[in-house]
Amino acid sequence: MASLLSYVVRRILFAIPVFITVSVITFLITNAAGNPIDIVRLGIKNLQPSQLVYLQHYFHTDQPVYIRYFYWLSDLLQGNWGSSLYSGTVTSLVAPWIWTTLELQIPALLLSLAVGIPIGIYSAKHQYSKADATVTTTAIFGVSMPTFWLGVMLIILFSLNLHWLPSYGALSIEGYYIGGNIVIDALAHLLLPLFVLTFVSLAAIVRLTRANMLETLRQDFVLAARASGVSESRVTYRHALKNAITPVVTVVGLSFGVALGGAPGLETTFSWPGLGYAFVLAAGKLDLPVIQAITMIITIMVLAANIVTDLAYAYLDPRVRL
Amino acid sequence: MTEVHEEKYKRRSAGQWAVAWRRFKRNKSGLAGSAFVGAFLILALYGIFAAPYPGRSFACLYQGCANLPPFQNWAHPLGTETSGIDVWSEIAHGAAGDLYVGVAATVISVVIGLVVGALAGYRGGVAGSLLLGLTQVFFVLPILIIILLFAKILLFLVAAGLGLNLIVLALAIFGWPVIAFIARGEILRIRELEFVQASRALGASNTRILFRHIVPNMLSPIIVIASLSVAGNILTEVIISFLGFGDATASTWGNLLFDGFQYVRSSWWVSFFPGIAVVLCVLGFNLLGDGLSDALNPRLRE
Repeated sequence: MASLLSYVVRRILFAIPVFITVSVITFLITNAAGNPIDIVRLGIKNLQPSQLVYLQHYFHTDQPVYIRYFYWLSDLLQGNWGSSLYSGTVTSLVAPWIWTTLELQIPALLLSLAVGIPIGIYSAKHQYSKADATVTTTAIFGVSMPTFWLGVMLIILFSLNLHWLPSYGALSIEGYYIGGNIVIDALAHLLLPLFVLTFVSLAAIVRLTRANMLETLRQDFVLAARASGVSESRVTYRHALKNAITPVVTVVGLSFGVALGGAPGLETTFSWPGLGYAFVLAAGKLDLPVIQAITMIITIMVLAANIVTDLAYAYLDPRVRL
Repeated sequence: MTEVHEEKYKRRSAGQWAVAWRRFKRNKSGLAGSAFVGAFLILALYGIFAAPYPGRSFACLYQGCANLPPFQNWAHPLGTETSGIDVWSEIAHGAAGDLYVGVAATVISVVIGLVVGALAGYRGGVAGSLLLGLTQVFFVLPILIIILLFAKILLFLVAAGLGLNLIVLALAIFGWPVIAFIARGEILRIRELEFVQASRALGASNTRILFRHIVPNMLSPIIVIASLSVAGNILTEVIISFLGFGDATASTWGNLLFDGFQYVRSSWWVSFFPGIAVVLCVLGFNLLGDGLSDALNPRLRE
């Protein structure tokens, strides 16, 4: 137990350099012109004097770059994220975006795991069968598809032609709910983007589970178990699955990161009011405080997901704790 | 590939690659992948030399055939877009653009990744640990968000001068650490193998060991990852341009999909056909990568 605890501590400590690297990259990119205000000027032609004063104050432009970074980082860590150049403080803007993004990401992640792992195992057990061929073909199409494009195709089919589902936003305007009920309305809006995200993550998880399972089933201890007369289902589920599933678990964090990275494309397609769509809109308006905040929030979410999965990995596989 | 095949008869030492080629030939999906990739190369050449309209040309608007549905006028087999772009021509130009982005970014990442990975793996020490740390950071970074941010700022800073090279630059800068990580791991594995130890005992120089023994043996995972990385780079380009973060004057599938999404209510074909091109091309490189991985990875041999 002590080794697990020290592993947890070490794992969390490793997140610190990652966080600092991302903050440096984000800061450097937004300061690439030497000064963030020059970038804002390029994007916003008629910058108001009040906005200019605010920006100078917010970015500490009277200081050299490395000092500005520490000001920025300490503000960031204290939760002092400044104001949008257009309206509202960043903190108040960002909170509902985080919620809307998670409303889409978490069900998609859980669904793709719940469906993907059994399909991957079945496919590996019946390698070269017709079912396996169908699964692998569908999965490789799934990982070759831009997420947002699948969304556009479903919008054309189900929203624009069949008029079954809405294609825009997360909720209708109050009083115009689909089915007259807020829950049905939310589900109707969720259905298409959720399907798209689940399908694409599912494809990656199926491919990974299948590959790991195949590799494990070829190993000597499986042969030994079979030779000593253990039943085939016991070999699969007791011996092989345990060893095949641990690498899949680590990829949960990774695929959550990939899915969050795909959020700008998917959320823009469905005008889903989450972090990704807000990022695209803010980038278009060069709203630097909002852009920096969203980049850092997504990084923190991905880091958190990675820590959680690494801890699960350490729990499942005692060798990693060393 | 044929050169490798012929080498089998000329030199015995080419055995490793000859075996891989024989295995690859039997791999149907790998062959299908190379056929797709070949078809898109031809499409790209057609786009450069023989397409009926130049890239991003709005000529159809002045010819009075804008917003034409597909399969109706054979001068525009896949229809035209509302502002007058011929979809078939633009897909062919986009093939050239996207293959350029995918391959160029991969080549740059592989070159940087190999050099950095080789140095870190062979020398070890502080540089090795630093590199390992850096690549692990890159694994958990929300890379796409960072690339989008980078491309957007770059676009504002240099205006439209860079064209497609803007995306190549963004992809290459954030693409090499993965290659370096794999290269370093391979070098650490190979340099401890018996035949390298033997060579060292015989007094071979570091350079000779590195280029004669280690590099040829680490090529196969790098080739596989390069093929998959072309696929990934094309997908990323499509997202960057679709969101309007790339150079809108360049001919790419992402830009065409961006146009298509503006008119998704009236002209489905502008979104549909370029998307099919993306899926088939990325699928081609993914199948090729999987086929190469099966052919080159001795652990999967039965």
